[in-house]
Amino acid sequence: MIKSLVISFLLLANLQAVANEEAWQALEKTALAARHLNYRGIFVYHDGAKMRSVQINHMFTHGREMTRSLVLDGKPREVYSEDGEVVIYNAKQNRVVVAKRRGENMFPAILPSNLDNLRATYSADFEEEELIAGRLATVINLKPNDVLRYGYRIWADKEVGLLLKMALSNADKKVLQEIGFTQVEVMEMYANTVHAPKLDANKEYVMERPLDVRHVSDWVVGNLPPGFNKVDQLRFTPPGKQHVVNQMIYSDGIASVSLFVEEIAKGRKAHMGHKSMGSTNLCANVVDGYQVTVVGEVPHKTVRQIAGSVRLQKRSNQLK
Amino acid sequence: MKEQLSAYIDGEFDLDNADHLVANAKSDGEMREAWQTYHLIGDVMRGENVTETPMTDRIMAALEDEPTVLAPNAMKENTKKPAKTPVVWSVAASVAAVFFVGLMLLQDQSLNSQDAMAVEMAENETSDYLAAHQQHAPSSAAYFIQNASFSGKK
Repeated sequence: MIKSLVISFLLLANLQAVANEEAWQALEKTALAARHLNYRGIFVYHDGAKMRSVQINHMFTHGREMTRSLVLDGKPREVYSEDGEVVIYNAKQNRVVVAKRRGENMFPAILPSNLDNLRATYSADFEEEELIAGRLATVINLKPNDVLRYGYRIWADKEVGLLLKMALSNADKKVLQEIGFTQVEVMEMYANTVHAPKLDANKEYVMERPLDVRHVSDWVVGNLPPGFNKVDQLRFTPPGKQHVVNQMIYSDGIASVSLFVEEIAKGRKAHMGHKSMGSTNLCANVVDGYQVTVVGEVPHKTVRQIAGSVRLQKRSNQLK
Repeated sequence: MKEQLSAYIDGEFDLDNADHLVANAKSDGEMREAWQTYHLIGDVMRGENVTETPMTDRIMAALEDEPTVLAPNAMKENTKKPAKTPVVWSVAASVAAVFFVGLMLLQDQSLNSQDAMAVEMAENETSDYLAAHQQHAPSSAAYFIQNASFSGKK
């Protein structure tokens, strides 16, 4: 009797592990689908306060990925990307401001191609299938293993794997942000003309001031939450200001956090405190006379932990 | 814009400022054209920056100053002129006190900072950081929800 109970328990545990592994494999398929399929459609983003519709055209051909996105609400904006390089066109009266960005994790390519980092800090489970934008979707719950990140609910197209919708929720299961297709079409190929930019000869195109991407390694986070790695660092001077701001970006594979460090110049007010804006939390601290500000799509606890453990790592030749 | 493009084609701009264009021109296919054009614009404009035309700055300054609003609470904060509230002033005072006490009281400072970090900040103190985060950090929808004016803050 006891023996058979133990066996059935082990069998159940094993089945659970297999199911989890299958969920991860589905997520891997979803991560690739967003990059390797041709699709077009309209997706909607909302976070309880703001809503935006975006028309997206994505094509993958000869190993290269091209995306053209048009923001349909608010200010006119066009985002064009190829292989992770992003060019943004912000139309403003008779001018268009052109900005270049590093582009990863943009909807529907939210999941990283390598899920190892996520496997270390989240667990994945299947839920009941649902319809999204008229397509049958496999639903996967990506649950964090600690309280330092949000949960992600992922709707992936059952047939082709494409991410159809994602919802971000906190520990109380309250949905903080949703982004998903209302209409989508997956194609074999489509005309290249879709990707032709809409250029207006009557408008002046202005390049945004380039960023100074320099190596800054004097600042360390003593208590960085597990799974987070530094993915980028840059320096810039805010418009209309004189001082330089260091920005370090950390990611656990899906959530990202920015750490800003700047000198507190004479006459400038130092800030301490926190702010919560939908899924985004911010925490400001003062460390060794520097203003430290942490912002990210993570719970308050996480930004606070980072802001509270930032230290200036003095190099040996700088010690006086 | 037409003049800028033709200037580029006429060789009046340094090729070093248009490496993307050169690289892309080498690959074939009709679909490359769109991407090339995008790069061309950017690279030509960067040429303008090299000659220190204060154009970008002026345009940035003229862009509409619209704070990033992500949550209903943030919207409410904004209409309350939070910088004038006593709460914020008391934070400023405590921060100033912490700041001038000096290195000898580092231990106390960290204790104070734990308290101070619990205070809610005002929209105008946080919007610049939020915008910079959305623009530089990889995230699902940042490019679509951020302000049209990247450097609109004066």
